[in-house]
Amino acid sequence: MDSNSSVLWLELAVGVIVSFSLLGIFIWAVRQGQFDDSKRQMDGLLFDTTEDLQAAYEKEQKVKELKEKKAKKSVS
Amino acid sequence: MSVVKCDHCALEFDEKVMIKDGEHFFCCNGCQGVYHLLKNDGLDSFYEKKGSNTLEQPIAVGEDSSNFDLESFAARYIKTTTEGFSSVDLIIEGIHCAACIWLNEKVLDSTDGIVEAKINFTNNKAKIVWDEDIIKLSQIIDKIRSIGYNAYPYERSATDKKVTKTNRDYFLRMSVAIFASMNIMMIGVAKYSGFFTGMSQSTLHLVHIAEFIFATPVLFYSGWIFYKGAYFGLKNKIINMDFLVSSGATLTYIYSLYILFGGVGHSYFDSVSMIITFVLVGKYLEVIGKKSAVDTMDKLKMQIPLEATIIKDDGKVTVALDQIVVGDIVELKAGEKASVDGEIISGDSSFDESSLSGESIPVAKQVGDMVYSGTINITNVIRYKAVKNYANSTLNTIVELLEDSLNSKPKIEDTTNELSKYFSITILTLAFLSFMGWYFYDHNFEQALIIGISVIVIACPCALALATPIASLVGISWLTKEGLLFKEAKFIEVFAKATTVVFDKTGTLTKGKFSVFNIDIINKTLTKDEVNILYTLVNSSNHPVSIGVKNYLLAHYKNLEEYTLEDIKQIPAVGMEAVYKKDKIFGGKANLSTKYTTYKFEINGNLIVQFELQDSLKDDAINTINYLKEQGLELIICSGDNQSTVKNIASQLGIEHFKHSMTPKTKAEFISELKNQDKTIVMVGDGINDALALSRSDISIAMGNGADIAIAVSDVVVLNDKLSGLEKSFYISKRTYKFIKQNLLISLIYNTITIPVAMMGYVIPLVAALSMSVSSLLVVGNSMRINNKKYKDKNG
Repeated sequence: MDSNSSVLWLELAVGVIVSFSLLGIFIWAVRQGQFDDSKRQMDGLLFDTTEDLQAAYEKEQKVKELKEKKAKKSVS
Repeated sequence: MSVVKCDHCALEFDEKVMIKDGEHFFCCNGCQGVYHLLKNDGLDSFYEKKGSNTLEQPIAVGEDSSNFDLESFAARYIKTTTEGFSSVDLIIEGIHCAACIWLNEKVLDSTDGIVEAKINFTNNKAKIVWDEDIIKLSQIIDKIRSIGYNAYPYERSATDKKVTKTNRDYFLRMSVAIFASMNIMMIGVAKYSGFFTGMSQSTLHLVHIAEFIFATPVLFYSGWIFYKGAYFGLKNKIINMDFLVSSGATLTYIYSLYILFGGVGHSYFDSVSMIITFVLVGKYLEVIGKKSAVDTMDKLKMQIPLEATIIKDDGKVTVALDQIVVGDIVELKAGEKASVDGEIISGDSSFDESSLSGESIPVAKQVGDMVYSGTINITNVIRYKAVKNYANSTLNTIVELLEDSLNSKPKIEDTTNELSKYFSITILTLAFLSFMGWYFYDHNFEQALIIGISVIVIACPCALALATPIASLVGISWLTKEGLLFKEAKFIEVFAKATTVVFDKTGTLTKGKFSVFNIDIINKTLTKDEVNILYTLVNSSNHPVSIGVKNYLLAHYKNLEEYTLEDIKQIPAVGMEAVYKKDKIFGGKANLSTKYTTYKFEINGNLIVQFELQDSLKDDAINTINYLKEQGLELIICSGDNQSTVKNIASQLGIEHFKHSMTPKTKAEFISELKNQDKTIVMVGDGINDALALSRSDISIAMGNGADIAIAVSDVVVLNDKLSGLEKSFYISKRTYKFIKQNLLISLIYNTITIPVAMMGYVIPLVAALSMSVSSLLVVGNSMRINNKKYKDKNG
């Protein structure tokens, strides 16, 4: 195997690993239902602002608190 | 007169009718209220997000939201999550754009007690999860209503869940196939360049391995559905296109594996990947169409009221629909929708039956008349006795029949599928004969096997599989440019084979709007006061006849003014009366002996003027009908209207066959009857009443401004609402079908030449690679001629 071929083999291996890893993430997202709403994906990609991301974070925090409260209540 | 935009909904109105609020203009109190609410809550960035989109005026909902807290409602619609929260599926009404979704989610997310509020952009369905200890569902609904939208619950049907799962599954398989094919195409550039410019055997081997890595998931993961389709086809003794695709791709893959692991020549992993991807994209589009139909079906169900008021010994009781039994007395207020079928026992009123008959004129009902579920009581409170329970009532029966039709709509088998049966058997037989012949002639098993497989590889169904989709794609893009939306490519072929066209009348052949064609002024001319009183009277009604008279006045009289009328009363099925400066005025039905609709205007019992009106034909109706007749098609009108009206329209258009007084069910039965006579039926309609018949026909066409459900179940939508779209659809479909047949011929000629060469063992890699590409290119090139500019300019 000459050195040119070795580089090609290495490129192939790296390329396959990277691309299949990304494909794996994509498959996970689809299975989670993240692509059920195709319009939302397009709109989010184009128009989501940092405020929207901040709001999403705050929403997550609020949900977390609500869930904790509910769990405590059901235990007591 | 200047036109200004409403600062909330952005609809344009005459400045005179707008509400001025400081610097702002609003078209109604609803818009004004929502605007201030959003400003106060710091949500005014909604207007930035909305951009130039217009909204509907806020929905004013009179219903009491406490219904959402009823036990019967909870039992049916509310579920409990594993964490102990409550969850409901809703359809949000009034959503137009991404900003509407943003606003609803933002308002709900900021409401205390709501855990999750996720609205789907595509179908406006929402999932709301909340903590029952903090907030009630009725409060959540009120919140949605406060910003000008409305929400209805819906039950996620088994079909909905199944279609969503299938949709996701196909999307994933298609994405994997596209991902792998794009990589293979890039590798293919190197491979084919190397073929002509020289490439070392070790590099070629590397390229083959790379192609193998990407083609394998395409064949076995993305292409799994073709194996499944082929298996079920064989189980039912049918050789279908799935069998052709899966057998061709598998054998090409096996041959390529042989080359990869030591054989001499070129692999065809790229062909395996491309054919699976191409056919899979087509299948995915079909799945999307089905999902959209199911979503719209849920919107139709949303029209069914949540509960009804029934009269018991101890007074009025609100009950869930499935608790109503035959014999119960149901009370229906003005503006409410009937939930079950029944017979009126007290009161009289007029009903909007357009959802069943398609006719916009309200129908007068009195004691003894039947009330049908889904129709709207317009004027007075009535009580009626249920003669059917909810499950057997008209609207629910229509919904169920529609669901059945969607799940089992038979379609004419397309030519490619028909041809693929014979093609597959022929190729497999020839390959087997080649293998046997060479084995007995040469006694070399390996050589005989390679020749056998090369017959299948060279006959790779690329050209055959491309014949229809490529031509259809060109045809569909032309149709789309003309404002004609074909939901699936295969409808082009069925359209071209049509023998009979069945038309709905109102909204399809006619404008669905009344216009005055004859006027009789008793004193020759009308005074200014008479014209303005009449204008004010007709302007206060939404009745189609009043609108027809109003439009006539607007067109023939200048500077119309609205006067102040007092005591305006609707008299069901008769007209309206009011008082103007002590004068008693009346406008309504005239007793003229004519087949047309009439309207008379009286002051203090003295006849002032009377009109004759008719629903006018669409501008392009006559030309379209003449074209269809020239094509030798059988034309039939099928309407819910009375005999004389339908006959009149049929004679104006020169259509011999017509059916009148049809219900949604009889329309559908008529379509089935025609189909039993081996006719290929095109049904053209626009209303909920046509939906069932549309779903039964071979090809259904809905007018763009028709009911959602009609558009959902139809195969073709005429977006610009013009009947001439039908003429263009026929013309383009026929031309496209002609090219599909030519493509199939090219594919067969290609196979007739190359297969004998392969059987003789003369297939060398270069010939195989070139011939496979050339056959596909010929099909693509021929398809491009469909919308040839010169031809299009001359005929299109």
